[in-house]
Amino acid sequence: MTGDIVEAMRLLGAGLAMLGAIGAGVGVGLAAAGGVQAMGRNPDAAPIIQTNMILGMAFAEAVAIYALAVALIIIFAA
Amino acid sequence: MSETATKKRVPVKRWIILGLIALGIYAAFLGPTFLRPVAPVVVLPSEPTGINIFGFEITNTILATLLADIVLLILAFNAWRFAKSGNLVPSGVHNFFEMLVEMFWNMAEGSAGKWARRFFPITGTIFLLVFTANMIKLVPGFESIGRIAESPHGEGYASVQLIPGFLYSIDKGKPVHLEHSQGEGETHVVESEAAGAPCTACEIIPFLRGSATDLNFTLALAVVTVIMVQVFGVMAIGPGYFEKFLQFRRLVNGGPFGIIDFLVGFLEIILEFAKIISFTFRLFGNIFAGALLLSIIGALTAVAIPAGLYIFEVFFGIIQAYVFSLLALVFMSQAVAGHHGGEAEGAEAH
Repeated sequence: MTGDIVEAMRLLGAGLAMLGAIGAGVGVGLAAAGGVQAMGRNPDAAPIIQTNMILGMAFAEAVAIYALAVALIIIFAA
Repeated sequence: MSETATKKRVPVKRWIILGLIALGIYAAFLGPTFLRPVAPVVVLPSEPTGINIFGFEITNTILATLLADIVLLILAFNAWRFAKSGNLVPSGVHNFFEMLVEMFWNMAEGSAGKWARRFFPITGTIFLLVFTANMIKLVPGFESIGRIAESPHGEGYASVQLIPGFLYSIDKGKPVHLEHSQGEGETHVVESEAAGAPCTACEIIPFLRGSATDLNFTLALAVVTVIMVQVFGVMAIGPGYFEKFLQFRRLVNGGPFGIIDFLVGFLEIILEFAKIISFTFRLFGNIFAGALLLSIIGALTAVAIPAGLYIFEVFFGIIQAYVFSLLALVFMSQAVAGHHGGEAEGAEAH
């Protein structure tokens, strides 16, 4: 019984850890929005903007990746 | 091409696609239960395929990586032979290679300048390997054909003999509940060496699983990349590169801000390890989640929708390969050029 509760709490904790993905989602969306706006205003600079946009997205996504790592550690390792 | 030829060809393909859809609907909803898609098992570590080389166990992700290597070598050899032939107008796969090389060369030259010749082979190799691994992962048969085995959780499906002693499948209509639920893949056709019923609660251990769904693959790439970043840093700036991490000079003659700079140096060390973690988990997370999504949606709605998700997965495979090599390039450029500013600052402080 207590083992079940511990197991349930562990899964719940892993789910809660993934809340960190909210911020990353907002960040990636903002980066995409800014990038598309910039490309709309200055289509000639699209390649440079695109590279930097993807770079920014990758860094924003890193937060979600840390959350994923924590969640996986909670489920499989802890 | 003449008009009659196109008119003749289009309906044939249409009928083939329609036939495949009908076959899919039959297998998923109407046919015998052993054809039905089975909900996936979530297994994080790669599973052994049963092949041993000098006591070293070959797991299914290693096998998939080797397959990607072979495909890549064949393509590269093909492209090399074409480049040697002196023919200047590429076609087909050579066109693709030319586009790729041009794109990565421009990217490397744009952000690294004279170091582009050093960086380009590494970032290009990373892109090609990750890209090939991500693409061949989508070939049907990956994660679905494997050896049949007793489920470690004591829970799975009964086995069905297709060719006795050789080909087995697991039957979704006959779940075996010893503890909790288990199953694998979409088509689940299985080869087994054992004769008779091989197991009671069966699951399938696939021979091939996407390379990037194994943390070892992505971690190896990440570690190599970050080590190469340090190597290029040392090549460009010499041993002074490590002053970025241990700023003793600033600590001695920098005053109170020197102490802050010294502590920032430790943050830089942590940052290098964070790079490894984010490289590793970005690729792993995206590809693993994609594989999971495909098998879960494939088990829920076997027809039509997975096809759309496949396109999504192709897109993500390309993007993740691109992001990995782009980030590697940017970190290398930073290590080579970025610290020069810090060096100049240190010289001024003297």
